[in-house]
Amino acid sequence: MPETRRPVHGGQGRRRRQSGTVFYVTAGCLISAIFVVPLLWEVLRSFEPTQAITSAPSLASFSHLGIANYRSLLVGSDDVVRNVLNSLGVALATALLTTLIATLAGYGFGRFRFRGSGVVFAVVLVGFMVPFQAVLTPLFLELHDLHLLNSLVGLCLFYTAFNLPFGVYVMRNTFIQVPNELVDAARVDGASVMSTLTRVLRAIVMPGIATSFLFAFLFAWTEFLGALTFLTSSSVYTLPVALSNVETGTTYGGVNFGYLTSGAVIAMVPCVIVYAALQRFYVRGLISGAIKG
Amino acid sequence: MEGAALGDGRDVPVPGAAASRRRGSRSRRERLEARAGLALVSPAIAMVAVFILFPLGFCVYISLTNWPLIGPYHFVGLANYTALPHDSVFVQSILFTLEYTAIVTIPILVFGYLMAVFVRSNRPGASIFRTCMFLPYIVGLTTLSFLAEVELQPGYGTANVILSKLHLASINTIWVQNANLALAAICVLVVWLASGFTMMLLLAGMQGVPEQLYESADVDGASWWEKERLVTIPLLRRSIALSLIISVVGSILAFNQFYIITDGGPGTSTVSLVMEIYETFNTAMHVGAASAMAVVLIVVVGLITFVQFRVLRSDDA
Repeated sequence: MPETRRPVHGGQGRRRRQSGTVFYVTAGCLISAIFVVPLLWEVLRSFEPTQAITSAPSLASFSHLGIANYRSLLVGSDDVVRNVLNSLGVALATALLTTLIATLAGYGFGRFRFRGSGVVFAVVLVGFMVPFQAVLTPLFLELHDLHLLNSLVGLCLFYTAFNLPFGVYVMRNTFIQVPNELVDAARVDGASVMSTLTRVLRAIVMPGIATSFLFAFLFAWTEFLGALTFLTSSSVYTLPVALSNVETGTTYGGVNFGYLTSGAVIAMVPCVIVYAALQRFYVRGLISGAIKG
Repeated sequence: MEGAALGDGRDVPVPGAAASRRRGSRSRRERLEARAGLALVSPAIAMVAVFILFPLGFCVYISLTNWPLIGPYHFVGLANYTALPHDSVFVQSILFTLEYTAIVTIPILVFGYLMAVFVRSNRPGASIFRTCMFLPYIVGLTTLSFLAEVELQPGYGTANVILSKLHLASINTIWVQNANLALAAICVLVVWLASGFTMMLLLAGMQGVPEQLYESADVDGASWWEKERLVTIPLLRRSIALSLIISVVGSILAFNQFYIITDGGPGTSTVSLVMEIYETFNTAMHVGAASAMAVVLIVVVGLITFVQFRVLRSDDA
């Protein structure tokens, strides 16, 4: 496989290159299948009724495919619509808030000189070193005192704070790369600090904004442990917490693997959509945020 | 407050306009600029201070007390810490987390590297293959742990059906009843999921390797492995170190997969460190002990992250 990675030059180059391409694409499809087929398999399974999921897979078990699980989860009395909306609201709010605050901070750190700016930036970066998993106990007590426990607002603020170090880092790097002449020209034109940002720099820093939005959204949509710790009543459960109750049989009078499978597929959909739409910014984020020190 | 400061920014003088008193105007401009800069960064600082730094300090503080959920507390010095080595579940959770980390780290790096080598090609399909291999990571470990639990069920889980067809395991294998089997299943899940992320990190680093280096290696008749060993890997040291550190920290912080698939069982044999902190607080309600455990975790992760920054900086020179 690897030997044929690069085009072969010389003599019968073209034919060897073509057969190399065929080999490459075949190998690529096989390797990709290892990662994609299990996911597609679960999508297929999610259309099986629970009885079919809990009996050994056979061709016959696929003769009853239907949307019964989804109907129960989305329009039935057992619906998880509220949980999906909770998750969606928290994820969108986290992504927007993170992006807004990180953009302002990135602008401040990247384009303004002020005393202590280096120290303050280092303080933000300390956030990188603190795993949120380790401070859930003090945060629980703090959110309780702030009346933000068992609240989607509190969860969103918690998610935002832990996404900010990365977001600020990415946005600062973005603003530093903006050519000085552009900002100076705006100043000469008498543009204010904020109108320079919203009118002159917006287009240039858009990729950084997309990157921090994407990372924050994916984090908030899939986060489980924090939501499990801070949310105690079912009306505010996010989707992963609701699914963990399906999984332990706390809800629906016992474990329902049909619901669990379909609910998991519902949880996959926004990740795939958002990633597909903003894919190139993910790679960008990895390069600018993680690789370049 | 913020708005007012930003309004001041509008008064930034036009260069040259105040030429008559240049010195004074420049310092005024600098003052205004400093104020605008501070105003811009203050929301971020406030969020980090309130929701990261304060809890961090609070955690250390609580760990020195016998904090009850209700009522007064008093300082107990390092008692919570000195009790930790005698807490058999805590010690076991650390050893288990290290065992798990030791098992998954190298496979994630090796598979991630090989996948990155495969998809860095500019042959047709490479970018689609890249997306496919990254998909499990995007979908996330929480969701996939729920699905893994279904597919590991004895009698009908897909994993059991396939393994029994291959005569590798009985269809009735109860994975979560045996700590080793449960760990093996979770390691396969995690390696499958996390390799794609390492692939992306390494791929980002590989974009910085000049194509000419490979071409001249081709001219010298270098084999594939020679090119990797002599060209890619030396230039990728930093990316490899970074992906190793991210992967190790991620493994040390493992929670979802164990909570969902094994719930720590059988017994407490698959309780990870983060899960032990969670249980100590949420179930046993030992706030002080949970905080002391958390401080241990913070120190460990902080040290690893510090090394990460050192690694990143050392290559800048």
